[in-house]
Amino acid sequence: MIRTYVGLIIVLALAAVVISAVPGFSVPSELPYIGQNYAEQGVHDTGSINLVTAVVVAYRGLDTLGEVVVLFSASTAIVLILTLIPIGAHPTPPSSIVSFTAGVLPGAIVLFGIYIITHGHLSPGGGFPGGAVVASAFLLVMLGSNTIPGQSKMLASIESLAGLTFGLLGFWGMMTLGQFLNNLVLPAGSPGKVLSAGIIPLISLAIGAKVASELSGVFASYRKSGGAE
Amino acid sequence: MTAQSLFYWSLAVTALGLVIIGLWGVLTRKNILRIALAFTLADTGVNLILVWSGFLPNRTAPIIDSSSITSVVDPLPQALVLTSIVIGVAVAALFVVVGVLASRKSGSADIRRMKELRW
Repeated sequence: MIRTYVGLIIVLALAAVVISAVPGFSVPSELPYIGQNYAEQGVHDTGSINLVTAVVVAYRGLDTLGEVVVLFSASTAIVLILTLIPIGAHPTPPSSIVSFTAGVLPGAIVLFGIYIITHGHLSPGGGFPGGAVVASAFLLVMLGSNTIPGQSKMLASIESLAGLTFGLLGFWGMMTLGQFLNNLVLPAGSPGKVLSAGIIPLISLAIGAKVASELSGVFASYRKSGGAE
Repeated sequence: MTAQSLFYWSLAVTALGLVIIGLWGVLTRKNILRIALAFTLADTGVNLILVWSGFLPNRTAPIIDSSSITSVVDPLPQALVLTSIVIGVAVAALFVVVGVLASRKSGSADIRRMKELRW
Protein backbone atom coordinates (compact mmCIF):
# COMPACT_ATOMS: atom_id res chain seq x y z
CA MET A 1 0.00 0.00 0.00
CA ILE A 2 2.82 2.37 0.87
CA ARG A 3 4.40 1.48 -2.44
CA THR A 4 1.25 2.62 -4.27
CA TYR A 5 1.25 6.04 -2.63
CA VAL A 6 4.99 6.56 -2.98
CA GLY A 7 4.73 5.69 -6.67
CA LEU A 8 1.82 8.11 -7.04
CA ILE A 9 3.77 10.92 -5.35
CA ILE A 10 6.85 10.33 -7.54
CA VAL A 11 4.78 10.33 -10.73
CA LEU A 12 2.78 13.41 -9.76
CA ALA A 13 6.02 15.24 -8.94
CA LEU A 14 7.32 14.36 -12.40
CA ALA A 15 4.06 15.64 -13.93
CA ALA A 16 4.40 18.89 -12.00
CA VAL A 17 7.92 19.34 -13.40
CA VAL A 18 6.61 18.75 -16.94
CA ILE A 19 3.69 21.18 -16.51
CA SER A 20 5.96 23.88 -15.09
CA ALA A 21 8.16 23.54 -18.19
CA VAL A 22 5.28 24.45 -20.55
CA PRO A 23 6.29 27.85 -21.96
CA GLY A 24 2.89 29.49 -22.26
CA PHE A 25 -0.78 28.63 -22.26
CA SER A 26 -1.69 30.04 -25.65
CA VAL A 27 -3.11 28.08 -28.56
CA PRO A 28 -0.85 28.29 -31.63
CA SER A 29 -2.41 29.26 -34.93
CA GLU A 30 0.62 29.19 -37.25
CA LEU A 31 2.82 26.32 -38.38
CA PRO A 32 6.43 26.47 -37.16
CA TYR A 33 9.10 27.22 -39.74
CA ILE A 34 9.93 23.63 -40.74
CA GLY A 35 6.31 22.54 -40.90
CA GLN A 36 5.42 25.58 -43.00
CA ASN A 37 8.28 24.74 -45.35
CA TYR A 38 7.12 21.14 -45.72
CA ALA A 39 3.54 22.27 -46.35
CA GLU A 40 4.57 24.72 -49.06
CA GLN A 41 7.33 22.75 -50.79
CA GLY A 42 6.45 19.11 -50.03
CA VAL A 43 4.33 18.29 -53.06
CA HIS A 44 6.72 20.11 -55.38
CA ASP A 45 9.83 18.46 -53.90
CA THR A 46 8.61 14.87 -53.66
CA GLY A 47 5.42 14.52 -55.74
CA SER A 48 3.68 12.92 -52.75
CA ILE A 49 0.44 14.58 -51.66
CA ASN A 50 0.63 12.86 -48.26
CA LEU A 51 3.13 15.09 -46.48
CA VAL A 52 3.72 12.60 -43.65
CA THR A 53 4.89 10.00 -46.16
CA ALA A 54 6.95 12.68 -47.90
CA VAL A 55 8.76 13.42 -44.62
CA VAL A 56 9.16 9.76 -43.61
CA VAL A 57 10.35 8.34 -46.93
CA ALA A 58 11.84 11.26 -48.86
CA TYR A 59 13.06 14.07 -46.57
CA ARG A 60 14.05 11.75 -43.70
CA GLY A 61 14.61 8.58 -45.72
CA LEU A 62 17.93 7.85 -44.03
CA ASP A 63 16.23 7.92 -40.59
CA THR A 64 13.66 5.47 -41.88
CA LEU A 65 16.47 3.19 -43.03
CA GLY A 66 17.84 3.35 -39.48
CA GLU A 67 14.39 2.61 -38.08
CA VAL A 68 14.14 -0.47 -40.30
CA VAL A 69 17.50 -1.57 -38.90
CA VAL A 70 16.23 -1.12 -35.31
CA LEU A 71 13.13 -3.19 -36.10
CA PHE A 72 15.34 -5.80 -37.75
CA SER A 73 17.65 -6.10 -34.74
CA ALA A 74 14.72 -6.33 -32.29
CA SER A 75 13.03 -9.09 -34.29
CA THR A 76 16.35 -10.91 -34.72
CA ALA A 77 16.91 -10.75 -30.96
CA ILE A 78 13.42 -12.12 -30.27
CA VAL A 79 13.82 -15.00 -32.74
CA LEU A 80 17.31 -15.74 -31.37
CA ILE A 81 16.15 -15.80 -27.72
CA LEU A 82 13.14 -17.95 -28.51
CA THR A 83 15.26 -20.38 -30.53
CA LEU A 84 18.04 -20.72 -27.93
CA ILE A 85 15.81 -20.82 -24.81
CA PRO A 86 12.44 -22.47 -25.54
CA ILE A 87 9.64 -20.97 -23.42
CA GLY A 88 7.60 -24.16 -23.48
CA ALA A 89 4.53 -22.89 -25.33
CA HIS A 90 2.23 -25.51 -26.77
CA PRO A 91 -0.53 -24.53 -29.22
CA THR A 92 -4.06 -25.07 -27.96
CA PRO A 93 -6.71 -26.14 -30.49
CA PRO A 94 -8.57 -23.07 -31.82
CA SER A 95 -12.28 -22.56 -31.23
CA SER A 96 -14.58 -23.12 -34.20
CA ILE A 97 -15.14 -19.35 -34.55
CA VAL A 98 -11.42 -18.65 -34.91
CA SER A 99 -10.77 -21.56 -37.28
CA PHE A 100 -13.73 -20.57 -39.50
CA THR A 101 -12.65 -16.90 -39.56
CA ALA A 102 -9.10 -17.93 -40.36
CA GLY A 103 -10.44 -19.70 -43.44
CA VAL A 104 -12.46 -16.74 -44.72
CA LEU A 105 -10.83 -13.43 -43.84
CA PRO A 106 -7.06 -13.61 -44.60
CA GLY A 107 -7.46 -12.96 -48.35
CA ALA A 108 -9.38 -9.75 -47.71
CA ILE A 109 -6.94 -8.67 -44.98
CA VAL A 110 -3.92 -9.19 -47.25
CA LEU A 111 -5.64 -7.26 -50.05
CA PHE A 112 -6.38 -4.39 -47.64
CA GLY A 113 -2.76 -4.43 -46.46
CA ILE A 114 -1.47 -4.26 -50.02
CA TYR A 115 -3.85 -1.34 -50.70
CA ILE A 116 -2.48 0.52 -47.66
CA ILE A 117 1.13 -0.16 -48.74
CA THR A 118 0.70 0.92 -52.37
CA HIS A 119 -1.32 4.07 -51.54
CA GLY A 120 1.04 5.35 -48.86
CA HIS A 121 1.80 8.53 -50.82
CA LEU A 122 -1.88 9.29 -51.48
CA SER A 123 -3.71 8.51 -48.25
CA PRO A 124 -2.83 7.68 -44.63
CA GLY A 125 -0.77 4.51 -44.70
CA GLY A 126 2.50 3.32 -46.13
CA GLY A 127 4.89 0.47 -45.55
CA PHE A 128 4.80 0.18 -41.76
CA PRO A 129 1.02 0.05 -41.12
CA GLY A 130 0.38 -1.94 -44.30
CA GLY A 131 3.05 -4.48 -43.37
CA ALA A 132 1.50 -4.85 -39.91
CA VAL A 133 -1.92 -5.50 -41.51
CA VAL A 134 -0.47 -8.22 -43.78
CA ALA A 135 1.28 -9.78 -40.78
CA SER A 136 -2.01 -9.82 -38.87
CA ALA A 137 -3.47 -12.03 -41.62
CA PHE A 138 -0.53 -14.40 -41.09
CA LEU A 139 -1.19 -14.36 -37.33
CA LEU A 140 -4.87 -15.18 -37.91
CA VAL A 141 -3.97 -18.17 -40.11
CA MET A 142 -1.54 -19.40 -37.46
CA LEU A 143 -4.07 -19.02 -34.60
CA GLY A 144 -6.69 -20.84 -36.66
CA SER A 145 -4.58 -23.94 -37.20
CA ASN A 146 -3.54 -26.57 -34.71
CA THR A 147 -0.10 -27.21 -36.15
CA ILE A 148 3.32 -25.77 -35.49
CA PRO A 149 4.80 -23.91 -38.48
CA GLY A 150 7.70 -25.79 -40.04
CA GLN A 151 11.13 -24.51 -40.93
CA SER A 152 10.78 -22.08 -43.82
CA LYS A 153 13.48 -20.05 -45.51
CA MET A 154 10.84 -18.01 -47.37
CA LEU A 155 10.24 -15.37 -44.67
CA ALA A 156 13.97 -14.81 -44.16
CA SER A 157 14.59 -14.46 -47.90
CA ILE A 158 11.69 -12.01 -48.38
CA GLU A 159 13.03 -9.97 -45.46
CA SER A 160 16.59 -9.91 -46.78
CA LEU A 161 15.45 -9.10 -50.31
CA ALA A 162 13.29 -6.21 -49.08
CA GLY A 163 16.11 -4.75 -47.00
CA LEU A 164 18.50 -5.10 -49.93
CA THR A 165 15.97 -3.34 -52.20
CA PHE A 166 15.74 -0.39 -49.79
CA GLY A 167 19.54 -0.04 -49.73
CA LEU A 168 19.94 -0.41 -53.48
CA LEU A 169 17.25 2.23 -54.13
CA GLY A 170 19.30 4.53 -51.94
CA PHE A 171 22.47 3.79 -53.91
CA TRP A 172 20.59 4.36 -57.18
CA GLY A 173 20.06 7.97 -56.11
CA MET A 174 23.76 8.18 -55.20
CA MET A 175 24.86 6.93 -58.63
CA THR A 176 22.58 9.12 -60.76
CA LEU A 177 21.93 12.28 -58.74
CA GLY A 178 24.82 12.16 -56.28
CA GLN A 179 22.59 11.94 -53.18
CA PHE A 180 21.76 8.86 -51.11
CA LEU A 181 18.03 8.02 -51.23
CA ASN A 182 17.23 10.91 -53.56
CA ASN A 183 13.55 10.54 -54.31
CA LEU A 184 13.53 11.90 -57.85
CA VAL A 185 15.56 9.24 -59.66
CA LEU A 186 12.15 8.31 -61.02
CA PRO A 187 9.95 11.18 -62.30
CA ALA A 188 7.63 12.77 -59.76
CA GLY A 189 4.73 12.36 -62.17
CA SER A 190 1.42 14.06 -61.56
CA PRO A 191 0.71 14.24 -57.82
CA GLY A 192 -2.37 12.25 -56.79
CA LYS A 193 -1.80 9.29 -59.14
CA VAL A 194 -0.71 5.87 -57.86
CA LEU A 195 2.30 5.82 -60.18
CA SER A 196 3.87 9.07 -59.08
CA ALA A 197 6.11 10.51 -56.35
CA GLY A 198 9.41 9.07 -57.55
CA ILE A 199 10.64 6.01 -55.67
CA ILE A 200 8.28 6.45 -52.69
CA PRO A 201 5.93 3.61 -53.83
CA LEU A 202 8.92 1.27 -54.35
CA ILE A 203 10.33 2.05 -50.90
CA SER A 204 6.86 1.60 -49.39
CA LEU A 205 6.66 -1.84 -51.01
CA ALA A 206 10.10 -2.78 -49.66
CA ILE A 207 9.25 -1.56 -46.13
CA GLY A 208 5.88 -3.31 -46.26
CA ALA A 209 7.41 -6.65 -47.29
CA LYS A 210 10.10 -6.29 -44.63
CA VAL A 211 7.75 -5.39 -41.77
CA ALA A 212 5.24 -8.12 -42.75
CA SER A 213 7.91 -10.84 -42.91
CA GLU A 214 9.60 -9.68 -39.69
CA LEU A 215 6.40 -9.61 -37.63
CA SER A 216 5.30 -12.95 -39.14
CA GLY A 217 8.69 -14.40 -38.20
CA VAL A 218 8.25 -13.19 -34.61
CA PHE A 219 4.77 -14.78 -34.38
CA ALA A 220 6.04 -18.03 -35.90
CA SER A 221 8.98 -18.21 -33.49
CA TYR A 222 6.63 -17.69 -30.50
CA ARG A 223 4.57 -20.63 -31.74
CA LYS A 224 7.60 -22.77 -32.54
CA SER A 225 9.33 -22.21 -29.19
CA GLY A 226 7.81 -25.38 -27.78
CA GLY A 227 10.59 -26.73 -25.63
CA ALA A 228 10.64 -29.96 -23.66
CA GLU A 229 7.36 -29.57 -21.78
CA MET B 1 -10.71 30.39 -21.57
CA THR B 2 -12.51 29.80 -24.83
CA ALA B 3 -13.95 26.46 -25.89
CA GLN B 4 -11.18 26.07 -28.46
CA SER B 5 -8.30 26.42 -26.01
CA LEU B 6 -10.16 24.19 -23.54
CA PHE B 7 -10.28 21.48 -26.21
CA TYR B 8 -6.61 22.05 -27.10
CA TRP B 9 -5.36 21.75 -23.53
CA SER B 10 -7.66 18.86 -22.63
CA LEU B 11 -5.91 16.87 -25.36
CA ALA B 12 -2.56 17.56 -23.68
CA VAL B 13 -3.92 16.65 -20.25
CA THR B 14 -5.29 13.36 -21.61
CA ALA B 15 -1.93 12.44 -23.14
CA LEU B 16 -0.02 13.44 -19.99
CA GLY B 17 -2.51 11.45 -17.92
CA LEU B 18 -1.77 8.33 -19.97
CA VAL B 19 1.97 8.80 -19.34
CA ILE B 20 1.31 9.25 -15.59
CA ILE B 21 -0.87 6.13 -15.38
CA GLY B 22 1.74 4.14 -17.31
CA LEU B 23 4.69 5.27 -15.17
CA TRP B 24 2.69 4.66 -12.00
CA GLY B 25 1.92 1.14 -13.19
CA VAL B 26 5.58 0.48 -13.99
CA LEU B 27 6.55 1.65 -10.48
CA THR B 28 3.90 -0.17 -8.47
CA ARG B 29 2.76 -3.33 -10.26
CA LYS B 30 4.37 -6.68 -9.47
CA ASN B 31 3.28 -8.91 -12.34
CA ILE B 32 5.84 -8.50 -15.12
CA LEU B 33 3.24 -8.68 -17.90
CA ARG B 34 1.25 -5.89 -16.23
CA ILE B 35 4.46 -3.85 -16.12
CA ALA B 36 4.80 -4.44 -19.87
CA LEU B 37 1.19 -3.28 -20.36
CA ALA B 38 1.80 -0.14 -18.27
CA PHE B 39 4.95 0.52 -20.26
CA THR B 40 3.06 0.42 -23.58
CA LEU B 41 0.42 2.72 -22.03
CA ALA B 42 3.11 5.29 -21.18
CA ASP B 43 4.52 4.82 -24.70
CA THR B 44 1.10 5.63 -26.20
CA GLY B 45 0.86 8.72 -24.02
CA VAL B 46 4.25 9.98 -25.23
CA ASN B 47 3.18 9.42 -28.83
CA LEU B 48 -0.03 11.38 -28.18
CA ILE B 49 1.95 14.28 -26.70
CA LEU B 50 4.14 14.34 -29.84
CA VAL B 51 1.12 14.33 -32.17
CA TRP B 52 -0.52 17.04 -30.05
CA SER B 53 2.59 19.22 -30.35
CA GLY B 54 1.96 19.50 -34.09
CA PHE B 55 -1.78 20.00 -33.73
CA LEU B 56 -3.45 23.24 -34.72
CA PRO B 57 -7.17 23.83 -34.09
CA ASN B 58 -9.55 23.80 -37.07
CA ARG B 59 -7.05 22.25 -39.47
CA THR B 60 -7.06 18.92 -41.32
CA ALA B 61 -4.64 16.06 -41.97
CA PRO B 62 -1.45 16.97 -43.91
CA ILE B 63 -2.63 15.58 -47.23
CA ILE B 64 -2.58 18.21 -49.94
CA ASP B 65 -5.38 17.49 -52.38
CA SER B 66 -8.28 19.89 -52.35
CA SER B 67 -7.39 21.61 -49.12
CA SER B 68 -4.94 24.47 -49.45
CA ILE B 69 -1.58 24.50 -47.73
CA THR B 70 -2.83 26.95 -45.09
CA SER B 71 -5.30 24.45 -43.60
CA VAL B 72 -3.08 21.48 -42.65
CA VAL B 73 -1.40 20.57 -39.37
CA ASP B 74 2.35 20.05 -38.95
CA PRO B 75 3.42 16.81 -40.73
CA LEU B 76 6.78 16.51 -38.93
CA PRO B 77 5.58 15.28 -35.46
CA GLN B 78 3.29 12.77 -37.15
CA ALA B 79 6.21 11.36 -39.14
CA LEU B 80 8.27 11.11 -35.94
CA VAL B 81 5.40 9.32 -34.17
CA LEU B 82 5.15 6.82 -37.04
CA THR B 83 8.76 5.92 -36.29
CA SER B 84 8.12 5.93 -32.55
CA ILE B 85 5.13 3.55 -32.81
CA VAL B 86 7.13 0.99 -34.81
CA ILE B 87 10.06 1.12 -32.37
CA GLY B 88 7.58 0.88 -29.50
CA VAL B 89 6.10 -2.31 -30.93
CA ALA B 90 9.56 -3.84 -31.32
CA VAL B 91 10.58 -2.91 -27.76
CA ALA B 92 7.28 -4.19 -26.32
CA ALA B 93 7.68 -7.53 -28.14
CA LEU B 94 11.22 -7.89 -26.77
CA PHE B 95 9.95 -6.91 -23.29
CA VAL B 96 7.27 -9.62 -23.37
CA VAL B 97 9.70 -12.30 -24.57
CA VAL B 98 12.22 -11.54 -21.82
CA GLY B 99 9.40 -11.30 -19.27
CA VAL B 100 7.94 -14.67 -20.26
CA LEU B 101 11.41 -16.22 -20.09
CA ALA B 102 12.05 -14.77 -16.62
CA SER B 103 8.68 -15.95 -15.32
CA ARG B 104 9.28 -19.48 -16.67
CA LYS B 105 12.63 -19.53 -14.93
CA SER B 106 11.36 -18.43 -11.51
CA GLY B 107 8.04 -20.23 -11.80
CA SER B 108 5.97 -17.08 -11.34
CA ALA B 109 5.30 -13.77 -13.07
CA ASP B 110 5.80 -11.95 -9.76
CA ILE B 111 8.92 -9.79 -9.91
CA ARG B 112 9.51 -10.25 -6.16
CA ARG B 113 10.27 -13.91 -6.81
CA MET B 114 12.81 -13.30 -9.58
CA LYS B 115 16.16 -13.82 -7.89
CA GLU B 116 18.03 -12.68 -11.01
CA LEU B 117 16.68 -9.15 -10.57
CA ARG B 118 18.37 -8.74 -7.16
CA TRP B 119 21.92 -7.75 -6.53
